[in-house]
Amino acid sequence: MTATTLFGLCGAALVGLGLFGVVVHPQPLRKILAFNLLGGGVFLLFGAIARRGAAAGMGADPVPQAMVITGIVVAFSATALAVALVLRLFEATGGASLNSDPPRTEPAAGPDG
Amino acid sequence: MPHPDAISAASTSGGALLVVAIVLPIVGVLLALALGGRHAERVALALMPTLLAVAAAIALCVWRTGEIAQYVVGGWAPPLGVAFRADGLSAAMALTTGVVATAIALFARPAFATAPGGGETRGPLVFWTLLIAICGALNAIWFGGDLFTLYVALELLTFGAVPLVCLDGRPETIAAALRYLLFALFGSVLYLLGTVVLYGAYGTLDIVLLADRVRAVPISWIAAALMTAGLLAKTALFPLHLWLPPAHAGAPAAGSALLSALVVKGSFFLVVRLWFDVMPGLPDQAAAQILGALGASAIIFGSVLALRQARLKLLIAYSTVAQIGYLFFLFPLAPKSFVAASGAALAWSGVAWTGGILQMISHAVAKAAMFMAAGLLGEALGHDRIAGFGGVGRVLPMTVAAFALGGMSLMGLPPSGGFVAKWLLLTAAVAEGQWWWAVVILIGGLLAAGYVFRVLGPAFARSEAPITLRAPVSRQREAVVLALAVCALLLGFLPLKASELLEIGRPDTAEVAPR
Amino acid sequence: MTGEGALLALTLAVPLALLVSCLSPRQRQRAPALLALAPAPALVAAIACSGGMIVLPGALLGLTLALDAPGAMLLGVAALLWIAAGLYASATLRGAADAGRFAVWWLLTLTGSLGVFVAADLVGFYLVFAMVSLAAYGLVVHDGTPRARRAGSVYVALAVLGEAFLLMGFVLLAQATPGGSLLIRDGVAALPNSPWREATLALLMLGFGIKIGLIPFHVWMPLAYSAAPIPAAAVLSGAAVKAGVIGLIRFLPMQTALPDWGAALAAVGLASAFYGVAIGITQRNPKTVLAYSSISQMGVLAAVFGAGLATGDGGAALIAAFYAAHHVLVKGGLFLAVGVMTATGRRCAWQVLLPAAILALSLAGLPFTGGALAKLAIKTPLGSGLVGFLATLSAAGTTLLMLHYLRRLMTSVAMDDSRVAPATLALPWLVTAAAAVLAPWLLYVTVLGGGIADVLDLSALASAVWPILLGAVLAAALWRWGDRMPGLPAGDVVVAARPVAGLARAIAEGFEVADVSLRRWPVAGLLLLILAAGLGAALLAGH
Repeated sequence: MTATTLFGLCGAALVGLGLFGVVVHPQPLRKILAFNLLGGGVFLLFGAIARRGAAAGMGADPVPQAMVITGIVVAFSATALAVALVLRLFEATGGASLNSDPPRTEPAAGPDG
Repeated sequence: MPHPDAISAASTSGGALLVVAIVLPIVGVLLALALGGRHAERVALALMPTLLAVAAAIALCVWRTGEIAQYVVGGWAPPLGVAFRADGLSAAMALTTGVVATAIALFARPAFATAPGGGETRGPLVFWTLLIAICGALNAIWFGGDLFTLYVALELLTFGAVPLVCLDGRPETIAAALRYLLFALFGSVLYLLGTVVLYGAYGTLDIVLLADRVRAVPISWIAAALMTAGLLAKTALFPLHLWLPPAHAGAPAAGSALLSALVVKGSFFLVVRLWFDVMPGLPDQAAAQILGALGASAIIFGSVLALRQARLKLLIAYSTVAQIGYLFFLFPLAPKSFVAASGAALAWSGVAWTGGILQMISHAVAKAAMFMAAGLLGEALGHDRIAGFGGVGRVLPMTVAAFALGGMSLMGLPPSGGFVAKWLLLTAAVAEGQWWWAVVILIGGLLAAGYVFRVLGPAFARSEAPITLRAPVSRQREAVVLALAVCALLLGFLPLKASELLEIGRPDTAEVAPR
Repeated sequence: MTGEGALLALTLAVPLALLVSCLSPRQRQRAPALLALAPAPALVAAIACSGGMIVLPGALLGLTLALDAPGAMLLGVAALLWIAAGLYASATLRGAADAGRFAVWWLLTLTGSLGVFVAADLVGFYLVFAMVSLAAYGLVVHDGTPRARRAGSVYVALAVLGEAFLLMGFVLLAQATPGGSLLIRDGVAALPNSPWREATLALLMLGFGIKIGLIPFHVWMPLAYSAAPIPAAAVLSGAAVKAGVIGLIRFLPMQTALPDWGAALAAVGLASAFYGVAIGITQRNPKTVLAYSSISQMGVLAAVFGAGLATGDGGAALIAAFYAAHHVLVKGGLFLAVGVMTATGRRCAWQVLLPAAILALSLAGLPFTGGALAKLAIKTPLGSGLVGFLATLSAAGTTLLMLHYLRRLMTSVAMDDSRVAPATLALPWLVTAAAAVLAPWLLYVTVLGGGIADVLDLSALASAVWPILLGAVLAAALWRWGDRMPGLPAGDVVVAARPVAGLARAIAEGFEVADVSLRRWPVAGLLLLILAAGLGAALLAGH
């Protein structure tokens, strides 16, 4: 088993753990962490593929590396947005859980109902 | 899509317009953030018609040349570089985006205005910036030429759409926005996983190159399944619709219009690209029938639930869940070679294709008009409980008329775009011998009539108590909404030649009958 | 554009122009006074151009207007009725607060009602059919009472159902037409050889059957006609319902003999004919009685269509159109009579009662009236077998029902004995009555090519008179012992819909519960993974 294959299997394991976490855990923060785990697994898979391209005699394949960098940026912004929403939800309701809808409040007398 | 040998590193003459369509909104977002305050609104209002004009120019270019417009970024050809491509479908969707976004911008002006001399407030700044951002992301989706660019564009779209949901800051809208974001991220990670698999197998993510290299091996199917499932989560196809009703109902009216009309169509567009352009040989009956069955369930489930809602915006949101189901009939009825029962070749092929795309466009226009009308009603009456709408048609005739015209398109009554789309889909279902979709389409039309009449019946009736308006409704906003609703009507009058635009760039998989 | 084509286009263009002008509130105030002018071009077109055709380019997959003999007949009498009812409506609406709103619904229904007679392509026909069916909702619920709203709901539910059937039928029809033509006559020509012939015929008959009120889809008629205001009820029962009739004329392939379908249609028609009488005599409201009479008469028409279809008799279409044309004027006139009677005192009631009696018995086939001509004409396609006999017997039932109607009409006389109906109301009523008596003669001689001698024939007279005598005897029995009959609600079997509605509500609540559980995150997340796996498995298995 080469190192590349090992890393690939690791990536797959991370993806599996991440999927489990996203589906099962009710707290949003854990879902965000699980999503990051998922992302990490996917990026690891990209890396393994880049290395495999290198084995074909190309030098490390640059395209997946570019995609990983872009992906990290996207995942980072997603996490930031999600954490901001969780914080805001906590401030507004004192708890943060997605399993039940918070009690509906009447719309404020603002411009949009 | 053109044969890969024909792809040069050169962009076509109209290609620069594609870049303009994507870069202009990005510049707009930067300007809006930098200038802030009232200038954000001005930038947005200036940008929307400009984007409409650019989209019209692209459509004209594609129509005239009859070929795909292409722009290769930096002159680096794929697979190393990235290309933007506009076929007939992209041009049509870009036009739709331009029209709907312009209408929404005009409608939202008074709602998100900054008082002269007043300081910058969060709501208006965020709304106008996000409007521009969403338009830019949508253009990137329509024109993106490789799967990873499309992934980035999809994420841009989601990040732009999520804050719109919780713009008013109420706890339930924040929860809805969080649920939307997390589920959408779940979906996009699955999509990304699929692209990893595809890259690993074929070494490229460019759509045209991939279409040439894809083979019928298990790895392709795994990738397709992952990507499709992820995109279905973002399109809120039944049973993955958990986030849509609270999100679309909780957003402000202009935001709901944008979300229902355009944002959900973005991820659906990607499914179409995947199935018809990346893997054109893919439409295999079992998987296509699964998608069709999910669409049918969405129609029935969403319509029945819409009938049960007590609040208008939730009714319209569940109606979106239902109408999204119609779009997925495109897959089992995909353009294949077929000949009419009488033995003569039909006048045109791709009936289902035109029907499905027309359904997408007319739903976008009609749903935007309906959400905006609902917003006006909510503002005027101070609530959006359907039970309290008795007699409102006499007080706000233009708004109710706009809602009625949008409802007509949803029900599939002539003359409207929804009717023509329904006719085409029914024709395709009969021609393919898959009459069960026809039955579902008809039932969906009946149920849609049910929930539209639920609102219109009391609205047109006499009310026992005189209706007092909480706030005056501006004539201009009513006119904008009515104009958009009339557009939904006018889509039914499109000459048949216009459908040829949608045919530009389709792969020659069908034995096309001579015209 | 030829003159004929221009006239056909004007038939629709003038009401549409008036409708568009109603967008401005000031014009909307003036519209009620102009209602009688809108159908005028249609009347001219019906008289002047038979056989004209015009194609409106490009719009709506190709909109084509054409007029043939049955269409021209029906268009002419329908336009006449719309004009008369429009005069009546203008008179009653003067000064009313929501007159403008009523005018908008009126004009929409008018456009659709006239359009169905001239539409020659599938999509155009569907458009005007939808217009006449759905715009009538506004006329039915005009009064705003809970009863009117309920009538409107039942009406619109059945109308939408009928349209769904028709849409599917039209799609099948278009699919079977070689060359992809959307013209009705091309589609119908290809229908007998269509691979979906059975389904198409079933769907078309269901769709048009719902429109003309064949049992068991008749339940909307009594509710709608008794809830609508008088002029609206007159045009709805007179002219709007004939959209279904012209549909059957245009779409049934009567050149081909289809004995099974013909027999089925005739059976349902005759059942409706007797059912309408049976329930109608239990009703007290004269408008409801007239509604059940419509059900009965449309049943007889359906029997004519069925007989024509069974034997492949192409001429049955023209005869059915003649029968329907007579019914347009008579039924419209009888409804107007109810309205005029409510404004007339007992002293002058005979002025209304006498013409109404002539009209009513004309429906049963009173000799020397237009009805006699109609009954004579339909003897040809119905033949002399069981169907023919039953149809003649139904005339007895019609007599019974009409005498019952006349009796109920007398009860709606105004309280003030010396009151006389104003000329603005009486004039349209008398014009319609006169037309109902004279027009059938004109049509019989010119279009059907018959002679006056046919009516004077002794055997014809005898066969026209015995059902009337029988009916009169039954009516006398009804007066004597009628109080013992149960009072059935208008819309009879619609009350059976209540438990069905309850079941539907329970199912919908089940859907809601399912939705709540589907929208829980773990469930949705798991479903997403299952979906991905399922799609993958389907794709793998398929290859």
